[in-house]
Amino acid sequence: MTVAGYQIRLLRRTSLPGWKAALFSILAIVFGLLLFSLIFIQAGQSPREVYKQIFGYAFFNAYGLRLSINRFIFLAFASYAFIIPYRAGLWNIGMPGQLYLGALAAFGVVYLLGGKTGDLSMPQPLVLTLMVLAALVAGAFMGGIAGFLKGKWNVNEIVVTMMLNFIAFNLVSFMIKDGGPFMNVGGRGESFELPEAARAPLLADFPYTLVLVFLLMIGIYLLFARMSLGYQVRAFGKSPAAARYAGIRPFRISVLVFLMGGALAGLAGYHYFAAVPGVYKIARTYAYFGDLSFYGMISGLISLGNPIATLLVALLFGGLSIGGRSAQGKLHLGFGIDYALMGMLMISLVAFQFFYHYQILITKKTVPQSHPTMTEDLS
Amino acid sequence: MIAFLIRSLEAAMIFTFAGLGELVDQRSGILNVGLEGIMLFGATLGFIAAKTTGNYLIGFLVGIGIGALLGLLHGFFSITLGVDQVVSGMGIWIFGFGMTTYIGNPHTGPLGLERLPTWFGISPFFFLALFMVVAVWFVLTKTGWGLNIRSVGEQPSVAEVSGLKVARIRYLCVIFGGMMAGFAGAVYGLYYNPVWNYNFLMGWGFISLALVFFSMWNPYLLFGGAVLFGLLWQLSLNPQMFFPGLASRYIWRMVPFAMTILVLIFISTNWFRSRWGAATPEALGKPYHKE
Repeated sequence: MTVAGYQIRLLRRTSLPGWKAALFSILAIVFGLLLFSLIFIQAGQSPREVYKQIFGYAFFNAYGLRLSINRFIFLAFASYAFIIPYRAGLWNIGMPGQLYLGALAAFGVVYLLGGKTGDLSMPQPLVLTLMVLAALVAGAFMGGIAGFLKGKWNVNEIVVTMMLNFIAFNLVSFMIKDGGPFMNVGGRGESFELPEAARAPLLADFPYTLVLVFLLMIGIYLLFARMSLGYQVRAFGKSPAAARYAGIRPFRISVLVFLMGGALAGLAGYHYFAAVPGVYKIARTYAYFGDLSFYGMISGLISLGNPIATLLVALLFGGLSIGGRSAQGKLHLGFGIDYALMGMLMISLVAFQFFYHYQILITKKTVPQSHPTMTEDLS
Repeated sequence: MIAFLIRSLEAAMIFTFAGLGELVDQRSGILNVGLEGIMLFGATLGFIAAKTTGNYLIGFLVGIGIGALLGLLHGFFSITLGVDQVVSGMGIWIFGFGMTTYIGNPHTGPLGLERLPTWFGISPFFFLALFMVVAVWFVLTKTGWGLNIRSVGEQPSVAEVSGLKVARIRYLCVIFGGMMAGFAGAVYGLYYNPVWNYNFLMGWGFISLALVFFSMWNPYLLFGGAVLFGLLWQLSLNPQMFFPGLASRYIWRMVPFAMTILVLIFISTNWFRSRWGAATPEALGKPYHKE
């Protein structure tokens, strides 16, 4: 294309330096927030005021910050759950289903120990360990179904994980409503409350799951940077055909990444329903947390599957969704503002995908030389 | 019983509309996994337009219009910008899911208009769906347009060399797919279930997507699958008609989703693929760059 004597060309990138990738990711978020501010303008509010409100509440208000951190932990697990299959080129959008199952399993442990009606006689560390293990296993099971089907028969994992979300959604309703086994005796359509011994202890005001977030970050980083399995996953994600020639078994990879992803999503479910202060039950509005986990997909994509970068994004998104809810109440914005934010960020991210793969080259148009050389500027 | 069957066929017509659009889309080599998002947009904006103006026609037109715009957006991302089609589709789905939850919320509740008329108890849209099935089959298999669409979806570089404008044909197909999905959503929100609620589409877009894989890109098989799933969906809502007292309603509601997975497994087995698998458009999901 030529505009006013300048030639505009698109070049396909063969590699992208880390700092450029980070720059595009930041730009994608900024652009998404600009799009989001259209909603405030439409609602008759000044975007500056609203953002001041959102960030002020999310990060500079002691109570709001605690909520943001709790949500950050949740989103971090959800992002990990997305990232691991994503590095293998597979799409795990089953975080909601996996986290519902994780939560059900953790509550199931308490239920089996008689915690629905009274306190537990078991020591707390043992109860917590069992709950976390149950959540991991249940989430892994749910993810594993999609991984198995993908690996064995190449069944589309997007549709399968989405269908499993609806199945798990109804399973939770079955367990906590209409006289289901986990139903609260009050009959409000929510689960029983966890007894004291099954509630996660706080470390300096935050649930101990915060520590798990950082341990897992190191673990996932090492998995991809240092371990042979991580290398195989990445190779498979880049080119399944080439990976097969290198002796990597696709079945094994897709099952393993989905088992790991599902387990981490299960942990997200455990965290929100059993470790966040003031919750300690599967609320009637549990679907909201399933929906929130899609933020994990956005932060995983924006950070290009990097577990360290994804934490920063998850922290930002956690704060934005908490601050958004608060601004919604204070400034009388419409309900579901955090859903709108999710949509805006996602579409902005897709538009910026272009820059990850192409660069625009603008050169002054010159008279063709006698020996036209192909310019492959790949800097 | 009659009501049950009619209701099933009405569900089937919605799967059919959405699926036909996606089928044409995929035949041209573009995969749009954001069907659910487009349907949500068509259902929500169509609902709001009809509710505020009191006019059904405006509602349907808005549904079709927003579908066309989102189809165009998917085309722009995946054809012009060369973004991974799955990323773009997922983006459109999350965009639709997030935005419609926000936009539709103040309109939660029933539409409050008189029900659309029916012919002998069946919605005229059902006959439109039948007509569209035949029309799409005819265009795809019997006309020059259909040949162009299919060749673009099989071997885009060969099609380009033989003089076809790959990008233009694909654009037209994604816009058509978007219009059909938007219309399917509008029929859902204005006729089938005219009570707006958060995420009231309940995964129908993803089921339609699965039906396209199931149909092996044949409109008649798509329609058959749609009827099957319409029946299943109604059964899961009214299990007491056939199996009174058996299992909780929540368990029944899992059935269509579980069946979708089983159907996908069935069509993905080697046994099935070795007989029918050749139908997959060869260039499906692969970005095409003109040399």
